[in-house]
Amino acid sequence: MKNKDLFRVIIIYFLSIFFAFIVISIIAILFRYDVIKVLKTLLTTSFKTSFGFQETIKKTIPLIFTTYAFTIPFMIKFFNIGGWGQMLFGGTVTAVVGLTLPKIGINLPSFVMIPLLIITGILAGGFFALIAGFLVAKFDINPIISTIMLNFVAVQFLNFIATNPIYRDPYEGHPITIPLPKSGTLGFISGIPYSIIFAIISIIFVFYLIKKTKLGYEITAIGYNLDSAQKYGINFQKTILLTFFISGALAGLGGTFEVINIHKKLIEGFAQTSGAQYGIFGVLTSLIVAGNPIGAPVAAFLMSVLLVGADALQRTMQIPVEMVFLSQALIVLFIVTFRERFLRRR
Amino acid sequence: MNNNLFVELKNVKKVFGPVIALDNVNFSVLKGEIHGLLGENGAGKSTLMNILYGLYSPDKGEIYIEGKKVKINSPFDSIRYGVGMVHQISTLVPQFTATENIILGTGKDKYRLKIEEEKEKIKKLSTELGLDFPLDVKIKDLSAGIKQKIEIVRALFRGAKLLILDEPTTSLVESEFKDLLKTLKSLVKKGVTIIFITHKMREVLEACDRVTILRRGKVQGTLDKKNMTTENIVKMMFIEKDIKVTDSALPKVELPESKKSEKPVLILKDVSTEPTEQSIGLKNISFELYGGEIVGVASVSGNGEKDLAEIIINPKKITNGEIYIDGEKINDLSTLEVFSKGVFYTPEDRIKEGILPEGNLKENILLGHHSEERFLNRKIFVKWDEARNATLDTIKKFNIYAPNEDIVIRRLSGGNIQKVIMGRAFVNPIKLLITHNPTSGLDVSTVEFIFKKLVETRDNGSSVLWIGEDLDELMILSDRIIVLYKGELQGIFKRSEFDKYKIGLLMIGGQK
Repeated sequence: MKNKDLFRVIIIYFLSIFFAFIVISIIAILFRYDVIKVLKTLLTTSFKTSFGFQETIKKTIPLIFTTYAFTIPFMIKFFNIGGWGQMLFGGTVTAVVGLTLPKIGINLPSFVMIPLLIITGILAGGFFALIAGFLVAKFDINPIISTIMLNFVAVQFLNFIATNPIYRDPYEGHPITIPLPKSGTLGFISGIPYSIIFAIISIIFVFYLIKKTKLGYEITAIGYNLDSAQKYGINFQKTILLTFFISGALAGLGGTFEVINIHKKLIEGFAQTSGAQYGIFGVLTSLIVAGNPIGAPVAAFLMSVLLVGADALQRTMQIPVEMVFLSQALIVLFIVTFRERFLRRR
Repeated sequence: MNNNLFVELKNVKKVFGPVIALDNVNFSVLKGEIHGLLGENGAGKSTLMNILYGLYSPDKGEIYIEGKKVKINSPFDSIRYGVGMVHQISTLVPQFTATENIILGTGKDKYRLKIEEEKEKIKKLSTELGLDFPLDVKIKDLSAGIKQKIEIVRALFRGAKLLILDEPTTSLVESEFKDLLKTLKSLVKKGVTIIFITHKMREVLEACDRVTILRRGKVQGTLDKKNMTTENIVKMMFIEKDIKVTDSALPKVELPESKKSEKPVLILKDVSTEPTEQSIGLKNISFELYGGEIVGVASVSGNGEKDLAEIIINPKKITNGEIYIDGEKINDLSTLEVFSKGVFYTPEDRIKEGILPEGNLKENILLGHHSEERFLNRKIFVKWDEARNATLDTIKKFNIYAPNEDIVIRRLSGGNIQKVIMGRAFVNPIKLLITHNPTSGLDVSTVEFIFKKLVETRDNGSSVLWIGEDLDELMILSDRIIVLYKGELQGIFKRSEFDKYKIGLLMIGGQK
């Protein structure tokens, strides 16, 4: 029975991607592009050059964090659309701490500074998501609404910091802060950011959290059946708060790494790629794997492959990246539809 | 061809995966009769009726209605052929009135609702049938008995000549059952044909003209009135099974002399709760429950019995009064803290409140025990090996029919699901078991198993608070019976004082 289900899932994913590419091909033909070249660029750019692969990993890392930020609350049937805001907030607070310490004369060595900034990102992102968690636990405010609204708050907070005379880089025309002190930044190993280590740790952490811990069991149980879970003593309110904190902490951590590893300073709109922000891609990625925490990193990687392919399309063939967004949206739609149609339980 | 036949199903076969739900079933119903359909859980009653109603299509076989061969692909087809169904669970829209519910989806006019005209028609029909109910009151404010009448009228209003009633007495009080019986007899006189699905022997004997007995997807036989005896029916239902039968077809379980403890295990002192939208609340409930006894709570559904169960495992709901376990006040404890005192609970609705449907057996057994030291490493990590051991142990002790402990629980049958829920309560030594309708909808052998478990628990010196819907069942096994009505305690009866009439009367609010 289980094998049969797995087989079905594979077929569904295969068909969804296949159909999405057919639509893309049709559009490419209508716009008189070379279809074979389009598909080839889209799928192989990540693997043809080491630069392509590095770019893919660079996108995968934040995407893993925002995917989890959506996935974990989704397990208890809540939509955290605020992964983006939590990422921005985490990154911004990290930058504030990283820039303020040297200004007030505290120069910490790297091995203190980096952990401090990481913890800052975790706490800031966690706190920011916790606001939404608190609103739903206490007042039953739908997190879809609260997290979207908080995204705006995070964007403005970022602008406030990046344009603030204390932090702002006066030679930049764009809201950008001065660079972080060297002790507060991470480097690259053969083009791959060090933060990959933390992304892998996060994957292991989430796996353990969900599969092996009491909290993970409680989250799973609530996802299966809230009434039973509550009847048998699982504290829903507490679980909501913890779930939101963890999901925000992961997003915030993603923001921290964008700031200390990729940009090494705070840039307006840093949590973006190819003109779209990581938060919404995290939602897409999570939906592709139906909120399954184990499948999330794989989906994040594949999503990044498409994104890198999209950049290449724009560079080499002047095809707008939006076309790839279209294909990603279609893949999600097809998967969700086929899943409903063929995996629905009688 | 017999002209008197309304429905005839010939050689119907239906297979679900590995399970043969119906195996060459031949079933016929005469015009104007009440035809009982009897069988254990999983015997195929619902499948058969869902085929007739168009929810399933048969893998093989033919359906004849009034002599004509028909194909029923959906409930729209079935109503065209005059087949209507009244489901076990109300399908009325609670926020609508009776009139709105009855005309829902009927009108021929595309854009306008002719409520007043339709209302007149409904009024006429219901007076003709002798079924009266308020037409303008919202369904949510009506009792189960009235709702059922409305469902019947709805089916007839749409042109049903054959009514399938799926376990229609589940949510009815004794007096409402009598009412229903009268209704059915009068409907039959008006030419309506009725199929009556049930678990209960007594209803068959009182209500039906003929009865067909299904067992494991096969028809065991059809009995007419003169052959319809308890003995015949039970033989057909359980040929190979060694089931002792009492008058009401309940398993007979011996209740030895009670060894009551000296001190009470549970004390309630003047306990009250706030009424909510879903429940009537409790008013000044006081009683004591001792070790070594089973106390039955007799009440018609919705009279505070659910609150009574829930305040013990979630005492924070109490607004007034005190509650003690073993002399210790537990008003401020959480559910898990109450569980840690040796209390456990099996809820009323086993699917909606009792299990994690998509979870496997280990996850389901762990529920409620997930904070116990035994199942945790360093207070954080779940010891899944230990959960597995507890699950295997439960499967063995409770005779749960499951291929392994990794199977998703919703794949099990209702009886086995109930056994998992029960088994969960016995993972640790138990002091007080609170169990709400543990036997509802189960076949007799499972009921017997659960009865024996309750008696065993009691004989080991523990206490059982058993909230039951079936007075017959409660009277077989309880040492005492408490009667609840409108959230108030109406009386406590010792076993020697059990009197069906007196208790029943209190349950429906009669004078003491």
